[in-house]
Amino acid sequence: MKQHSLKISLIITLIMMLMAAYSAHSQEEDVKTVEDDAFTEQMRPIVPFLHDEHNEIAEIAECGVCHHVYDDNGLLSEDETSEESQCSECHLPAKSKDKTELIKYYHNQCKNCHLQRNAGPIMCAECHVK
Amino acid sequence: MHAVYNFVSGPLLWVSFILFFGGSVYRIVSMVRMAKKTDPVVYHFWSLKYALRSIFHWIIPFASENMRKQPAMTIVTFAFHICLFIAPLFLFAHIILFKASWNISWMYLPDTVADIMTMIVIGACIFFLVRRLKLPEVKYVTSCSDYVILAIVAAPFITGFWTFHQLPGFRIMGIAHILSGEIMLAAIPFTRLSHMFFFPFTRGYMGSEFGAVRHARDW
Repeated sequence: MKQHSLKISLIITLIMMLMAAYSAHSQEEDVKTVEDDAFTEQMRPIVPFLHDEHNEIAEIAECGVCHHVYDDNGLLSEDETSEESQCSECHLPAKSKDKTELIKYYHNQCKNCHLQRNAGPIMCAECHVK
Repeated sequence: MHAVYNFVSGPLLWVSFILFFGGSVYRIVSMVRMAKKTDPVVYHFWSLKYALRSIFHWIIPFASENMRKQPAMTIVTFAFHICLFIAPLFLFAHIILFKASWNISWMYLPDTVADIMTMIVIGACIFFLVRRLKLPEVKYVTSCSDYVILAIVAAPFITGFWTFHQLPGFRIMGIAHILSGEIMLAAIPFTRLSHMFFFPFTRGYMGSEFGAVRHARDW
């Protein structure tokens, strides 16, 4: 009887650990919106963005396609990527008071790519859904 | 949709800018030349002092006799003209596009304010339309082109309102918004919308003639 309950407890613990590990994993990976701490005032609704689904449809395999890094000479680094940092860390200099600066980079990143590929949303309301 | 968007926001935009700026310069220069030839009296009587005095009285609400006689028209027309310029030039969504294209930006209005101003412009257009249809003295001097001009001005605001509020069909309306804005810009120099830059000259000449020749008020 004791051995039996020990087995059950072990199985339950194992399941719980697996669930915890899975949820931690999914929280890290499953990006659902485009957000940046630098946007303190929301002028438009937050953009829904299913990271994995987007990249599957867009056939983007390399992280650096979006999470780019430029070296000091302004050249695109081939072996470095920036998925650990927010866009504002590079694209919104601390001194800049112009809020439209960071918005410009976000729009360039998404909209320009969509226009180049003739695919994906390009109108304001297609991303900033009310 | 992407190809259409690229076309209306690219080449067509430049066509409308060229027609607007080039057309305005052309109209002013040709008007100046024509007046010299056919109407030299305009230059003869022109007086900066009386011109400015008249313009001043006509750009202040209720500062002229006619405006006091038509209070509804005065309020609507002033509200209309102010909103017509302020809303599009200081709209957040437009500033974002200027920033993206030319890396320039300036102050912008809260969206609610711009939204109210847009509704004022649309409401004023309805007022002008009803006035043209109903008032006999206005109807008498109204031609088909007046309705077309009114539609040209109202269209960018109606489509803009539609797009901003994401009403059904907003994608097509967004394209129509860009297109109608371009049509309006291009139409300014070549229609009676040219009063935008001819106003100071016509008003100024009236002021000059009334002030310096007739020694009378023209407001």
